[in-house]
Amino acid sequence: MNRYLYDGTADGLLSAISWILEEEPNPEIVALAEREDTLFEDGFFISTDATQAEALFFRLRKEAPDAAHTIYSFMLAEKEGMESSLLHFVSLAFIHGDKVNGYLTHPAVREIVGIAKKAGRELHRMKGLLRFEKLHDGAYLAKMEPDNNIIQPLAYHFSRRLRAQHWFLYDVRRRTAARWNQGTLQFGTIEQFTAPALSDDEKKVQALWQAFFKTIAIPDRKNPRLQKSNMPMKYWKYLTEKQGE
Amino acid sequence: MCSLFLHYICLMDILSKLQILSGAARYDASCASSGSKREGPACGTGNTSSSGICHSWADDGRCISLLKILLSNDCQYDCAYCVNRSSNFVERASFTAREVVDLTLDFYRRNYIEGLFLSSAVMGSPDKTMERMVRVAETLRTEEQFGGYIHLKIIPGSSSELVRKAGLYADRISVNIELPSQASLQRLAPQKHKEAILAPMALIGKEIASSLVERKTSRLAPRFAPAGQSTQMIIGASPENDFQILRLSQGLYKKMQLKRVYYSAYMPVSDDNRLPVLAAPPLLREHRLYQADWLMRFYGFSAEEILSDDAPNLDESFDPKSAWALRHPEFFPVEINRADYGTLLRVPGIGVTSAKRIIAARRFSSITPEGMKKIGVVMKRAKYFITCSGRSFEKTDRPAALLRQQLLLGESPAPAPSTQLVIPGIFS
Repeated sequence: MNRYLYDGTADGLLSAISWILEEEPNPEIVALAEREDTLFEDGFFISTDATQAEALFFRLRKEAPDAAHTIYSFMLAEKEGMESSLLHFVSLAFIHGDKVNGYLTHPAVREIVGIAKKAGRELHRMKGLLRFEKLHDGAYLAKMEPDNNIIQPLAYHFSRRLRAQHWFLYDVRRRTAARWNQGTLQFGTIEQFTAPALSDDEKKVQALWQAFFKTIAIPDRKNPRLQKSNMPMKYWKYLTEKQGE
Repeated sequence: MCSLFLHYICLMDILSKLQILSGAARYDASCASSGSKREGPACGTGNTSSSGICHSWADDGRCISLLKILLSNDCQYDCAYCVNRSSNFVERASFTAREVVDLTLDFYRRNYIEGLFLSSAVMGSPDKTMERMVRVAETLRTEEQFGGYIHLKIIPGSSSELVRKAGLYADRISVNIELPSQASLQRLAPQKHKEAILAPMALIGKEIASSLVERKTSRLAPRFAPAGQSTQMIIGASPENDFQILRLSQGLYKKMQLKRVYYSAYMPVSDDNRLPVLAAPPLLREHRLYQADWLMRFYGFSAEEILSDDAPNLDESFDPKSAWALRHPEFFPVEINRADYGTLLRVPGIGVTSAKRIIAARRFSSITPEGMKKIGVVMKRAKYFITCSGRSFEKTDRPAALLRQQLLLGESPAPAPSTQLVIPGIFS
């Protein structure tokens, strides 16, 4: 069984996969892993080629758009040590097309699709659970700590929704941020975050939302377990309605 | 005109109004924000997503997707089952259109909500009330360029002109059928008439259909309630059996093209002697009705297959699909590798997701019993009813009584109320 290595970047991963698919007659029995700079590491290093990475993804998107979407979601999860599974998934996707997503009896497909689904679910959840606060200058800021690196698709969602607003998303754990202002979406990192002052009416609106949240529940039907299973506690930290609980 | 009491209401702050008018709206079951896809206006706020989005989950575990409020709870009517009936002593409040518009926008901009669900008590006359409600939607759409979701409740008895206008601004409109029969309606809601409920429903159905036709020829044709219409009825406040209720729903889905029928377990909000005394709200019954409703909408079952005049009520100990399977041993076992989609859906424990997964996976190779677990099919109930390439999991020819018992004992210890309260989601 041949073993290949790449530099650990997303581009490196995709270009390595592209190289292997071209050179190896049976990618199913090939292993791919991130290079760790130890003396005794065994394997053939494939250098990164961004154009090849892009070409691979472009081709896949054309031939199997749903499979390409699975890979996109899988990458959001930033999972390590699953390069071989991804390689096998891509190879199967070129053979079977979009149907590959349903090939759940195959271990690599099940692994990749499972992780992609989880990331997709968190993305959908955050579209609802993200909370903006209005700042003193009229812009809006939303902080979050999602498990998956979803800031890009999330920002895209809000760029179509809150078009007339000036807003920021901030991933506190990854220190990445997105900014939307007058039709332009930008991404960047934040080294030093200082909490900006809130607008004068912000606390009032928050109190209204908290009051609504309390009264909309039917008292006879109280069900904290169901609430927590739909809205896990790890998300409560930034939820306006769950402050002080 | 302000008496001392009314004067107090005039000066009431937004917070108190919100508490009164959301508290009065919480018995409305619907919170769906799905079924409509609209790109937001370039200089406005909001769009809608066809799958719907939940923004929070309340303390009762129900999804919060919309700002669900009444415009007013100051009602002329005296419906026995309703917390806002005129003879009940509760604090009364009314919003102005501007107040609702501002609340909606303030909440939407902070991503608290997907949009607005506006209902109301009957103030003065149905038309007067409906007009004020339509004005809120109109202001949001035209003045504020609001592109988010709007659900408007239609007040029975309001003019067709207002119903038409409501459908042009809202994504979904609904007329509550309230009770499952005319007799019950007469007894418990004497001011509401069957015709006043069914006429706008039929009108809405017709407008939706013709708007869909027009939009096929011109993309600029106005949309009419693109997320369709829904209704709601109260369960357990009147004597109808489940079979009557399911046949009513079936008629509403088939003849009126409704998107959803909501069932709401009667919560004792009144000690009116026309109402039954219940130890607890019939939550399990409500849950079973939703399951049966799902069978009719997504699983190809008819009301007559689920219940009959001889057995007119849903079994409390079995879900309706298992109950059907127990009555039809001749249908089973189903061979997983050959059965078509419709047949797979009839297996207890196999839902839409599992059936689709089975069909997708068997394209590659026939599915083994281990494979069933790998693709994520829950076997707890299904194992009594299927074979995989001729291999069965359990003896499938056991007598019905034994199977009943095993299905019951095989289930986890008495399901906690939590699993019964899921208002089946926003993904309608």
